[in-house]
Amino acid sequence: MATVTAAPEQAAPRIRSDRLERIAGQALALLASLLIALLLGAVLIVAYGESPAQVYGAIWEFSFGSVSNFGYVLAIATPLIFSALAVAVCFKGGLFNIGVEGQYLVAMVAAAWAALNLDFLPGGLHVVGVLVVASLGGMIWAAVPGVLKVKTGAHEVVTTIMMNGIAVSFLAWAVNFPLKAQEIPAGQNVDLRTDVFPDSALVGDIGTTFGVSRGAHLSWLLLLAIAASIVVWFLLRRTRLGYEARAVGSSPGSARAGGISIGGTQIKLFLISGALAGLVGMQQILADRGYLGLNYVAVLGFTGIAVAFLGQNNPIGIIFAAILWAVLSRGEVALQIETEVPREFVIILQGILILSVVITYQIAKRRLAARQLQRAGAVGSLEDSAAAEDIEGLAKEDR
Amino acid sequence: MSLVDVAVAVQISLTYFTIIYLTGLGGLYSERSGIVNIGLEGLMIIGTVTGAAGARFFADAAPDGLGWGAWSVAIGLLFGAFCGALFALVHAAATVTFRVDHIVSGVVINLVAIGLARFLSATFFDGQATQSNPGGPHLPILNVPLLSDLPAQVGRAFSGLSPVVVFAALLVFPVWYSLYRTRWGLRLRSCGENPEAARSLGVRVSAYRYEGVMLSGALAGLSGAFLAVEEIGNWREGQTLGLGFISLAALILSNWNPVRLLFFAWLFGFAKAIPLRLDDAPLINLLPPQFINMIPYVVTIVAIAGFVGKVRPPAAAGRAYEGGSAI
Repeated sequence: MATVTAAPEQAAPRIRSDRLERIAGQALALLASLLIALLLGAVLIVAYGESPAQVYGAIWEFSFGSVSNFGYVLAIATPLIFSALAVAVCFKGGLFNIGVEGQYLVAMVAAAWAALNLDFLPGGLHVVGVLVVASLGGMIWAAVPGVLKVKTGAHEVVTTIMMNGIAVSFLAWAVNFPLKAQEIPAGQNVDLRTDVFPDSALVGDIGTTFGVSRGAHLSWLLLLAIAASIVVWFLLRRTRLGYEARAVGSSPGSARAGGISIGGTQIKLFLISGALAGLVGMQQILADRGYLGLNYVAVLGFTGIAVAFLGQNNPIGIIFAAILWAVLSRGEVALQIETEVPREFVIILQGILILSVVITYQIAKRRLAARQLQRAGAVGSLEDSAAAEDIEGLAKEDR
Repeated sequence: MSLVDVAVAVQISLTYFTIIYLTGLGGLYSERSGIVNIGLEGLMIIGTVTGAAGARFFADAAPDGLGWGAWSVAIGLLFGAFCGALFALVHAAATVTFRVDHIVSGVVINLVAIGLARFLSATFFDGQATQSNPGGPHLPILNVPLLSDLPAQVGRAFSGLSPVVVFAALLVFPVWYSLYRTRWGLRLRSCGENPEAARSLGVRVSAYRYEGVMLSGALAGLSGAFLAVEEIGNWREGQTLGLGFISLAALILSNWNPVRLLFFAWLFGFAKAIPLRLDDAPLINLLPPQFINMIPYVVTIVAIAGFVGKVRPPAAAGRAYEGGSAI
């Protein structure tokens, strides 16, 4: 595509340097934000009369000090990987799925139903069935904003926010009525929840094999999350759908001119995103607890947006971003045990980190775009029409 | 179900109306200036915790005889509004100065607010991260003249109200006037419709957008403080219950109009009150209460999909504006 303009021997190094520059710029921006967060955090720590080195040391120790500690970190990271992937898939196509939150709540209800009712499935098939049903639940919830966007033009941000609100009530209803626990142990006062799932519906522990304590609940969902990252990477980078997604995301006009069905692509992305979102809640109900209760862990969908940003919507970067986020979350325990700083300090650290990441990435992106535009101007390739540039840019990324 | 129940439901709905209307007006100022604000829920959360803290500080520091009382509530409300505006400054800086995507920034605001609220709570309330001590005082109650004298107990709907409820309802006049009858309002709206044209006429777009966003923080903060300090009497994690998002829904349905917002804020407030008081009414008794809670969201989806009427946001809302400050 568009190979007429530049001689190949000239084009190749420039592409590489552009890409290298982009990656270097992103890495620098991430490093800078991490430094800003740690520095501002240090100021707060000093205000509490503690030593920053000691506090950060404690956080490090509780994440990397032993195999067990790292196991805890990976278990925390597992749902975040799914959640961030779900966000990233849509984002590549220029869609903002802030409905991951609602999608995983509905998926937890679907999974709870499957865990309690599909126990006739033989052997390991039960848990597989549960995961499939969870994904389907997420897909159905994601399909609504997807279809509305394509058919009526309703903005996905508004519709997904509203779908989140509906999902919260839906889960509350499910736990209060159709799935309410029947077998409550005598004399025991339990929170509103479902019955405990049969063992065949739970995901197996892999942590103990490596010496991680059972309390970490490190399950093979982590392996599934990593596999999902690789699949998403392949999907976005090496398949036709990925190409179309990026075309729709970067320039809908030229995508349409190129014969890509914008609506079809958007709906496919929403469905894939919903399927991934469906797996977000599995760690807590199938590994940590073994039931679905009203005291479920919320906000994982919104956290996924932060993690996706931290990983720059790159499926592999997301794995590391999720681990970084999990290290900080794990730090809460470290602070409570080792220091006088309130454990909530960690959440502030995460907040500062994500805020500075969002801002520094934005600055880096603009700087980079300005520089590359300047350089392109010097070479004289600005005569190309905007549309041709867009398609060319995509082709470059593909190589 | 009797007429009294309906009257009491209306009375409850007026409390929810206050929360939704104040927050919705906040969103209105922000979005009319061109900055989409889905961080309303987060701004409210900051209002709840700082409002409760403001009331507590005043009660502790005030001379004898003042302490816990109407004054501490008033200080709490003001402090919540102030801190909401301060926190909204983050959203303004990110979106206006650094031109971060408005949705991204809004999501971050909501996420950070939850953590910040816990942190502030642990700091203010002796390590209690998720609530403050209950049992705070309230403002003296108010009976709306004439309306509260309606016969057959209907007057109960308008008796025993918080003064803030009346304040919120009356706010429609100054808000409408500021937007449609002052130079400031015209300029603010022009920044939301066509910032390039506004700038060419000498309007400082960035300044107006900062003002719009900070006003949204102040109003959402006030709303949160009202909920925590005046209505409940203490701060509790999660007490906003997604009302920030319901406010956003009401704002969208109102077509970004303060007068229509009055109606939708009350309508969604009434929907909130139904399961509390009218759960045995015909038709409603067939539905579990959780389904009633879905109504505002479903109505908004139906409306935004264009099945009924047409909603049109300010033309430039959400779009990055390239003029002004430089990076």
